[in-house]
Amino acid sequence: MSTITRRHFLTTTIAAGTGLLGVPALGTAQGKEIVMLGIWPFTGAFADVGPLLDRGMRLAIDEWNNKVIGRPIKYITRDDETKASSATRRMEEAIDSEGVKIVIGPWSSGMALACTEVAKRRKVFYYFSGGTEDIAGKRCHRYAFNWAASPYTAMHVVVDNYMRLNPTHKRWYLFVSDFAFGWSVEKYTREAGSHHGIEFVGADRMPLGTREYSGFVSKAAAAKPDVLCLLNAGQDVLVSIREAHNFGLAPKVTLLNSWGVGTEDFLQLDPKTRENFWVGTNAYYGMNTPVAKKMTEMYQAKYNVPPGYAPCAAYGMTRLTLRAIEKANSAEPADIVKALEGWETQDWPGKVWVNPKTHQTVRDYMLLRCKKPDQMKHATDFADIVAVSGQPTMPDSMNECKDIGSL
Amino acid sequence: MNVAFFAGAILNGLVTGMLYALMGVGLSLILGLLNIPNFAHGVLYALGAYVMISAGKAFGFLGGALTALAVVGLLGAVIEYFGVRRLYRVHSDYILLLSFGLSLILTESIILVWGPVGITSQPPAFLTGGIDLGVTVYPKYRLAVMFITTALVLGCYLFVTRTRYGAILRAGIEDKDMAAALGINIRRVFTLTFAVGTGLAGLGGALMSPVRGLLPTMGIDILPFAFVVVVLGGLGSLPGAILAGLLVGVVQSLMTAIWAPGADASVFALMTLGIIARPQGLLGRR
Repeated sequence: MSTITRRHFLTTTIAAGTGLLGVPALGTAQGKEIVMLGIWPFTGAFADVGPLLDRGMRLAIDEWNNKVIGRPIKYITRDDETKASSATRRMEEAIDSEGVKIVIGPWSSGMALACTEVAKRRKVFYYFSGGTEDIAGKRCHRYAFNWAASPYTAMHVVVDNYMRLNPTHKRWYLFVSDFAFGWSVEKYTREAGSHHGIEFVGADRMPLGTREYSGFVSKAAAAKPDVLCLLNAGQDVLVSIREAHNFGLAPKVTLLNSWGVGTEDFLQLDPKTRENFWVGTNAYYGMNTPVAKKMTEMYQAKYNVPPGYAPCAAYGMTRLTLRAIEKANSAEPADIVKALEGWETQDWPGKVWVNPKTHQTVRDYMLLRCKKPDQMKHATDFADIVAVSGQPTMPDSMNECKDIGSL
Repeated sequence: MNVAFFAGAILNGLVTGMLYALMGVGLSLILGLLNIPNFAHGVLYALGAYVMISAGKAFGFLGGALTALAVVGLLGAVIEYFGVRRLYRVHSDYILLLSFGLSLILTESIILVWGPVGITSQPPAFLTGGIDLGVTVYPKYRLAVMFITTALVLGCYLFVTRTRYGAILRAGIEDKDMAAALGINIRRVFTLTFAVGTGLAGLGGALMSPVRGLLPTMGIDILPFAFVVVVLGGLGSLPGAILAGLLVGVVQSLMTAIWAPGADASVFALMTLGIIARPQGLLGRR
């Protein structure tokens, strides 16, 4: 008769326990699952945008039926809290605990500049869409890519086309978000403006999340501008628009949000406050490309509203990443990087080309003009696309990414 | 910078300051009686704005604002009666946790009912546009908000200092047990005070919605300033809350005009200086 000794029990238990714990570890080690991290703001100043970004990324993964190159995709998210410290800490934690090798996000340039350093150090693939020039500029490295148009191109598309249509509007007042995004778009707004004789009659820099804009609007009104150019972000844009209307500055004076989210902002504004409101954006649901049209259909069917810049960007970055994985037939960061570098293809924005020297996605940018309430054909017929262009591209001499480095 | 510019900045400060005072008075009443900071005060401000936007469709702007006052006030009474009251006998940390929890639940409820995306609210038609004050042109609606909040805050002050119920309230703040021993139904006083305090927050949210718009997290933006007002003015002091509200609003607005990035920091610097100079608050008692 055999009896179970204490030693036998312990040995068996430890062996079984090790086996149970080891199975998932082996699964991960063998790379069965491809873990993709969406690092989005679910709390903080951009809390309203996080769920929309999440929707966009999920939509792309659903389109691939949660599988790429025959391997299941595990999509996980982390809340960056709209704080650089939280974003980097949670990105590191996801890399360590979940085996993440592909990171998409966050929403804010300030957070992205911190996350890109983590991507560089941990050698994970990193895609971001935003207004800072530094991801594909002086902070460039082989693992990081920027999906949004370069702020140089974007501000030229906005300023050149606005001035073509309104050549007498030469007095501009700037509201600038005081962080990396605002600094980049201000720099190129001024640069583009210098080609049109624009006089910048004033500029205020305000911290992200400012809710009291009355003082700024009073200052702007006193400068008697033709254009109040909003180089701010998130709810700050909406608060400044409301105040401009409260003070009677708009719609008399043009409100121009050079780097806007489009649809989500339009949905939050009363039609009257959209009058004489112009928006430069990376994505609008009226974009006439096959991928954009299909994405809009899928998004509207699922959420009953058209997508704005946030879901389009998350969808576009995820889609291009999944296609790069297929092209490389590998989900290893270095292989995805090589697959994207120098790739010219058709995707959400139409023709895109990933500049191998800077990792800037070279693509079109749009200028929209909002419709008056009586011009709208339906509830979401917000704006006319008055210009779509990817020109001019930033001259190499201006780009501060001089050596993108090695893998 | 000229006279018009500074006049505008001071007017902006007074409008914001009166809103802070309104929030501070409500918070101060609750703090004075219950000895706890109500962390759900910010989300009740947000709820007021959302109730106003829904009720306003049926009853117009004024009806919507009054509905916000009533609904949020009633909710405050319910919170006190079914929640806070049950925790008076345990450590005050539990009431703090309750108010934190309620804040999260109500924020998520707002998202569930009205959605995560912000909403714009328009002022009534007769209050749109600006009015020429001689030194500057100023939005009519903001002036109206300033007058309404001033009237409300003064009304609260007079109610607390000149009426019999106000005397009972002050007695409750001074010594709850003694007031109860004298036959005052102190529990009912607590419930009514909670309702009035939260109702004022709801009305503040309703009045400010055309100025700042609606967002589920809008309460988080204002809550720190309401606390600054209470601390700076003196815990439980209504005149202190009014004075501190105005001071905070004007300093913040002037700082915005002079050096915008320091606007919010200046408010906290003001509080720090206030605490150092007068630990009991501007009009508080030691």
